[in-house]
Amino acid sequence: MGKYRKKVQVVVLLLALVLGGYAIFQTFTSDDDGLVKVGEQAPQFRLANLQGDPVALQDYIGKPVVINFWGSFCEPCIREMPSFESQYQQWKDQGVELLGINLSEDTIAVSTYVKKQGVNYTILRDVDRKTEKRYGLRSYPTTFFVNRDGTLSSVFVGEMKESQIQEHIAQIVQ
Amino acid sequence: MLLPVNTKCECGHQNAVGTVLCEACGKPLEKELLESNEPLEMRYDGVARRSQKANPDLLDKIWNFFSSVKIAIYMIVLTFIGAMLGTIYPQASSFLSNTFDPSVYYPETYGLPGKIYYFLGLHNTYSSWWFIALLVMIGTSLVICSIDRVLPLYRALNKQQIRKHMSFLKRQKATYSAPLAGDAVEWTTQYGQALRKKGYKVTIDETGTALLAEKNRFSRWGPYINHIGLILVLLVLLARSIPGWNVDQYVSIADGDTVPIADTNYYAKSEGFKVELYDNEELPEELQNSGRVKSYKTDIVLYECTENCHDDFERPALTEVHRHTILVNSPLRYKELKLHQFDFNLTPRINAVSPMIVNLETGESYGPFHLTMVEPELNYEAGPYKLELIGKYMDFSINSQGEPITLSNNPNAPAFIFNIKGPGLADNGEVYMYFPLEKDKVRFSQDVINRELSKKIAIKVEGMENVDYSAATTYLNIRIDKAAKYLWVGAFFCMLGLTMGTYWQHRRIWLRIDDGQLTLGAHTNKNWYGLRADVAFALKRCGIELDPKSLDNGGHKG
Repeated sequence: MGKYRKKVQVVVLLLALVLGGYAIFQTFTSDDDGLVKVGEQAPQFRLANLQGDPVALQDYIGKPVVINFWGSFCEPCIREMPSFESQYQQWKDQGVELLGINLSEDTIAVSTYVKKQGVNYTILRDVDRKTEKRYGLRSYPTTFFVNRDGTLSSVFVGEMKESQIQEHIAQIVQ
Repeated sequence: MLLPVNTKCECGHQNAVGTVLCEACGKPLEKELLESNEPLEMRYDGVARRSQKANPDLLDKIWNFFSSVKIAIYMIVLTFIGAMLGTIYPQASSFLSNTFDPSVYYPETYGLPGKIYYFLGLHNTYSSWWFIALLVMIGTSLVICSIDRVLPLYRALNKQQIRKHMSFLKRQKATYSAPLAGDAVEWTTQYGQALRKKGYKVTIDETGTALLAEKNRFSRWGPYINHIGLILVLLVLLARSIPGWNVDQYVSIADGDTVPIADTNYYAKSEGFKVELYDNEELPEELQNSGRVKSYKTDIVLYECTENCHDDFERPALTEVHRHTILVNSPLRYKELKLHQFDFNLTPRINAVSPMIVNLETGESYGPFHLTMVEPELNYEAGPYKLELIGKYMDFSINSQGEPITLSNNPNAPAFIFNIKGPGLADNGEVYMYFPLEKDKVRFSQDVINRELSKKIAIKVEGMENVDYSAATTYLNIRIDKAAKYLWVGAFFCMLGLTMGTYWQHRRIWLRIDDGQLTLGAHTNKNWYGLRADVAFALKRCGIELDPKSLDNGGHKG
């Protein structure tokens, strides 16, 4: 039985290392705020735009994407919209996409605000708060900056100043 | 450097390094042990632990660390202490609020100790890296300790030598020796027969003068089966971190709504929440009119999504799979999913109204038209009037700049802005603001906002039958624990092993007769009283009557 001894030792210790490593690793990743982590793939979605056509995140693979969650009931969201619009105009020629995902409001609420704010970037409509939950949102507004390869570059929770938006976009355009 | 270690016994058997009693004849191998006259330590039958080597390499050293029972005990004690620390203050995971901030809560509630508690990370003891690491190490130790002991023990018990060394027999905790008169072979056979009656498995060697009788060997495997159970339990706990295996969520559903259950493929519809109170007749006098709750219940319909489940663009196709009236302690159960009643809110929520449009000049009213709070139609017709919906606020308010805003996406104070065309109104219509809730009409002065128009027309709901509302909102706890059933398997093996090792004892009796001299030794792990009785019973059958107590060689318990 001596000939299997080494093999058994290696197999058992390796299993312990893999399973134990996984368990211990879990304790570091499952922290409290629940937001999608920087470096991870941004969760996929396919939502309707204002014209009722489907738009999916993977349509933009290869492009830097800014995902801004907003609602008409969220004052800071509304306040930062003009800054996003002006940054969108500044960067769109370099392929930057801006997706404003509305927080599951109905058609009239969304279209009224979009008209009022005069935004030209893509507005998408979340349903039953599903996309919002997938991104782990806790408060509004929250903005995600996604690299060309679909990984998350940074997350900003709260109202953004135009200069901040510019800095964050500059990072994903590189 | 290699040190040659002589582990060969005088009987010719080659033993492994670390062997205490020769695997074949049972002679104590260490000089000190041989010279002493104390009863022998029979643990693991004196065989070497599997991993013991004369010159261990790094792998062996790691292995030996986990193979040590002493270290396992230290780890268990450390885990106990850690687990105790976690019970001093509530764990952070027991707070459900989204806004719960442990860095504020602990110092504010418990002062300096709370601050230290938070600083040390003890608010998340059971999911901390060190606690999980301890559990992982205990799990590893369980596996390695078991492998190292059960395999050599199995080998030792599987091929036992019948004729044992004299010092092995004489130094058992139950032993007997006496001169014999008759034929040795015949005596041995007779003794064996007597033990067979007691359920022993008897083997006699080829000379016919040495005997081994054994009973209930299987009880020796009890601890290892118990360990398999414990390892299973640890693996199952680990498996709960696989996504989807352990869901513990909360969902709020207003009466009549259908909502998705996050992390699952299910949707739940509430057909109404109700609180029932006891009637006064059912209550003793001192409790009458005190509003004692009889039951909280929610009628739930469970749907499974069958199409377009991961696509939010298409509407998901839902199929009803189950319905249940959820009561406290009577959750909805469907496959692995459980929905428990958790909380409720009796604030009504308006869903739709069917108002009439009234021409105040003629007193005539037209309609009704159906106006939903969520996704309302954009155009309505009522008699000669045409209404176009041009704006909507779910929770109307005026912000600091004097602009209308909505405070939330819930219809707490819904407001609709219509462009109305009709008799006596401007050709391209006039703008009218409508608050369906009476309280808001007053609070936001609907008539002042609508100015002149408020004298010409009115939008009015006549009677509660024209208002569609949800009376209550139910809060449910969603649980999925796919690991739970495997926990039972683990618990079964734990119990099986425990039972095997507890209620049965491995009993062995060896004897040899040399030149008319009988030497007998017997060993068990517990219940020596029973073993001595067995030995004495068989001796009596062979004509030797003695007090079972006289077999006692001391040094044991029980």
